[in-house]
Amino acid sequence: MFIRMIAKAFFRQWKKMAMIAFTIALGASLATAMLSVMLDVGDKVNQELKAYGANITVVPKGTSVLSSLYEMGEDENISGAYLKEEELGKIKTIFWAFNIADYAPFVNAELTLDNGDTVKMRGTWFNHHLSLPTGEELDAGVTSMRSWWDVIAGDWLDEQDDSGLMQAMVGRDLAEKEGLHAGDVLHLQGSSADAEVKITGIFDAGGDEDSEIYVPLDLAQDLAGLEGKIDSIEVSALTTPDNELAEKAAKDPSSLSVSQYETWYCTAYVSSICYQIEEVISDSVASAVRQVADSEGQILEKTQLLMVLITILSLIGAALGICNLVTASVMERSQEIGLMKAIGAHNIAITALVLTEIFCTALIGTALGFFAGIGFAQIIGHTVFQSAISVKPMVVPIVIVLVALVTLVGCIPAIRMLQSLRPTEVLHGR
Amino acid sequence: MSALLELKNVSKIYGSLHALDHVSLKVEQGEWLAIMGPSGSGKSTMMNIIGALDKATEGEILLDGVDIAKKTAKALTEIRRDKIGLIFQQFHLVSYLTAVENVMLSQYYHSVPDEKEALEALERVGLKERARHYPSQLSGGEQQRVCVARALINYPEIILADEPTGNLDEANEEIVVELFRKLHEEGTTLVVVTHNPEVAEVAQRTIVLRNGKVERETVNPNFTGKIKHITLQ
Amino acid sequence: MKKRKMYFRMITASLLRRRSRMIIALLAIAIGATILSGLLTIYIDVPRQMRTQFRNYGANMILTPAEERIQPEAVAAALSFISQDEIVGVAPYRYETVRINDRPVLAAATDMQGAKAASPFWRVDGEWPDSDGEIMVGKNVADLYLLRVGSKTTATYMPEEATEDTLDNSSDFTVTGILDTGGKEEDYVYMSFADMQQLTGKDKGYDVCELSVSADAEGLRAYADRITGELSSVNAKLVKRVTQSEDTVLSKLQALVLLVTVVVLMLTMICVATTMTAVVAERRKEIGLRKALGASNSSIIAEFMGEGIVLGAVGGLLGALLGFWFAQTVSVNVFNSSIVLMPWLVPVTLLASVLVTAIACMIPIRSATDVDPALVLKGE
Repeated sequence: MFIRMIAKAFFRQWKKMAMIAFTIALGASLATAMLSVMLDVGDKVNQELKAYGANITVVPKGTSVLSSLYEMGEDENISGAYLKEEELGKIKTIFWAFNIADYAPFVNAELTLDNGDTVKMRGTWFNHHLSLPTGEELDAGVTSMRSWWDVIAGDWLDEQDDSGLMQAMVGRDLAEKEGLHAGDVLHLQGSSADAEVKITGIFDAGGDEDSEIYVPLDLAQDLAGLEGKIDSIEVSALTTPDNELAEKAAKDPSSLSVSQYETWYCTAYVSSICYQIEEVISDSVASAVRQVADSEGQILEKTQLLMVLITILSLIGAALGICNLVTASVMERSQEIGLMKAIGAHNIAITALVLTEIFCTALIGTALGFFAGIGFAQIIGHTVFQSAISVKPMVVPIVIVLVALVTLVGCIPAIRMLQSLRPTEVLHGR
Repeated sequence: MSALLELKNVSKIYGSLHALDHVSLKVEQGEWLAIMGPSGSGKSTMMNIIGALDKATEGEILLDGVDIAKKTAKALTEIRRDKIGLIFQQFHLVSYLTAVENVMLSQYYHSVPDEKEALEALERVGLKERARHYPSQLSGGEQQRVCVARALINYPEIILADEPTGNLDEANEEIVVELFRKLHEEGTTLVVVTHNPEVAEVAQRTIVLRNGKVERETVNPNFTGKIKHITLQ
Repeated sequence: MKKRKMYFRMITASLLRRRSRMIIALLAIAIGATILSGLLTIYIDVPRQMRTQFRNYGANMILTPAEERIQPEAVAAALSFISQDEIVGVAPYRYETVRINDRPVLAAATDMQGAKAASPFWRVDGEWPDSDGEIMVGKNVADLYLLRVGSKTTATYMPEEATEDTLDNSSDFTVTGILDTGGKEEDYVYMSFADMQQLTGKDKGYDVCELSVSADAEGLRAYADRITGELSSVNAKLVKRVTQSEDTVLSKLQALVLLVTVVVLMLTMICVATTMTAVVAERRKEIGLRKALGASNSSIIAEFMGEGIVLGAVGGLLGALLGFWFAQTVSVNVFNSSIVLMPWLVPVTLLASVLVTAIACMIPIRSATDVDPALVLKGE
């Protein structure tokens, strides 16, 4: 009979029930969308902040000081210490390999042009295609790591271009000085070889790079006679903002206790990623670029906090909205409930009936709202970040508990009113 | 006397149900008519059609010589406002307005609300002292008397009452019937739908409906038109 | 006017005497209005607030000398072109090669307070120097010369015109801090201008001056063009890496907040509308009665709308205040600064809540007035 009454209530009052379900669906979709976005916004903004370039630099041990100190700004490597090119792939095998968004090796040398001018050359990856042993495919290099460069003429150098011509990119100042244009062919004389290169593009970097020439890594190594050797690596990694533990570890990992060390090693702090890179690249020193790493942490934290607060506001809004409607719709049914009381229904029976009805409705609403919410989250993800928002499994229980709690709270004033209702008053239409 | 209200071959059909089946009826100016019949006989349908609350499927309804059967909903609203006073079994008072405000509501839609006049109307039904009470503070009889006051405030040509005593005890029933008698004395045309023979037999004429048709029509032999003296509190 | 008086009497009666229902409706509207005004305030204020966060990336404009060196007066002149409250930090630098333990090292003279403000990402182990005779050394320099916080060292300078046998200038310094930046700054020694002058005997000219300005790329470009154009002794350049990336990321963040605002607002407004619809739908019978009494549809709509508008306005006002309070709380918690009051948001919030309320009420009123009053009164 109980089930029959509930079925009847649904059937007869489907309009009202649909409205409750609709409101609950709205609230649930709001909660789902906001929670999903909030939980994923860190990763997304982190990706965006990659625009600032590398946050870790790796150099051979010992050279970090010497080269820049004695040459006073010239990047000629005089110490003879190099990193090994064959070890580059190992960066993608560290514990936090998944957080390595991008990286590029650099080799620096001086070249002579036909007119006798010397120019600074950097060999690097542009859009170097990596097929990792893990099966991951990745295009790494300066094309993505120097997102602030404006290519003012021509195009970015494409390493996959198989026209057979050797290519190069030239900085704006150098191009102006030497009268170079995109498409020109330039003769470069290195210390051990020479080459004809086609200039694919002229870039404006707004810095020292504007007077340099950028060529693919293997060409640079040939010209300078540095086969298999690299001067430095820039790494762009997704990191967790530093805390006290990370700072302590950054100074000296051996000062940590075993459990602290575990925590630190297994968290994507910039210092632990540096540490792990040093483990795989022999004789290297990896250090955090504070300008990028620190600022990233701050902005990430602020954005997340902002989203958390907006999420809380919308959750409160959704909760009050649902509460309100449940109260309003139960109050509306006072006449029917007065009748049930008149024919001898107990308060408990009536409460159970009303609660079951509302909760069945809420269940349907939550299910619909959950999927609608995922849809909203994806709209936000694709519009803002051009990528899907990953929905964390923990959103499901949070939304369910939230809706259940809110619905229950919404029923309380209504049920208290129903229980104090006197059947005669209701039936006489007062 | 000319007929104030005349129904000619009026039918109301809901799907396959003939709620009213070719009913013809005349109500003279100043007449007091009772309509009786068992549940489902078409009483309320007839009442709604006469009261311009609902439209007939076919037939002519002449009120004051004007056919209202084909009028638009808007025109019917105006007819209700100007010519008809309604009294319901369920009272239908606005719960958040006081007795006098409920009476004024009717004036408000008709013309201009006048509190003095509304209070006078309540005095006529013996509720002057309860004018500032809310419906929930009044007894059933008192609520129905407010409804009577509300129905007569705009001097309608005809007052329609649908089971006016259906929710009242005997004492209150008598009071309401007395009010009707007084209104009749004053020349108001009254149509009362009821299934209570005691209420019906005080009217001038009674028609009995069955299955949407007029089954029989009787003129009340005991009709005196006299006012019994009872005190209204 | 008697009729108008009765109108207001009815509306106030309905609002005041049906308290529990009206509170429900009011609450719904106030929530909607709070979210509206709160999120709009945040949306409008976020770029300003976020921009200050992005200043953590350091200098975004560089002043370089057109000739030999920049004089302090030229820097002051350049700064006068920039709105004062947008300047976050100004750090002038003068570089000279000095010797420590007979090995060359680059020394930079700067204004420590300015450098701290212009480069917030510098991490100093120890203290920033705050008096003469104190220096801060880069991490690499510290490693190379085995310097620690508190170490004493002597720096010498060989004047260019000096001959082999003239004595070098020398000064004694105390290391107060080790600088960790992960960049080339780790190779320098930082000291005050006074110390530099004493050590090298040269004037106060700057080699370069870094500015951190809280403005968008366009604003910065305008400043830079003006400085370069109007001052012959100074060239202003933007640090493209910082300005360009800042604009990219900030526009994403703003788009994020905008979209979130739109979605939340849309859902909230629908939520408010359904609640209002439920509250009005309850009064179908009353609408039927009024119609039976001869009320025209338009007068019924006028009465119920009157109530709706009063509710919408009160709820909107309440929401506007609560929304401001919320935005203020967010701003203080997230950005540690208070929000800029935007008075125009109050009428906007009011209007929006009145509009939403009116639309929400219209649906059930319409459906009740369209049905024959007899049916409505019967309760179906």
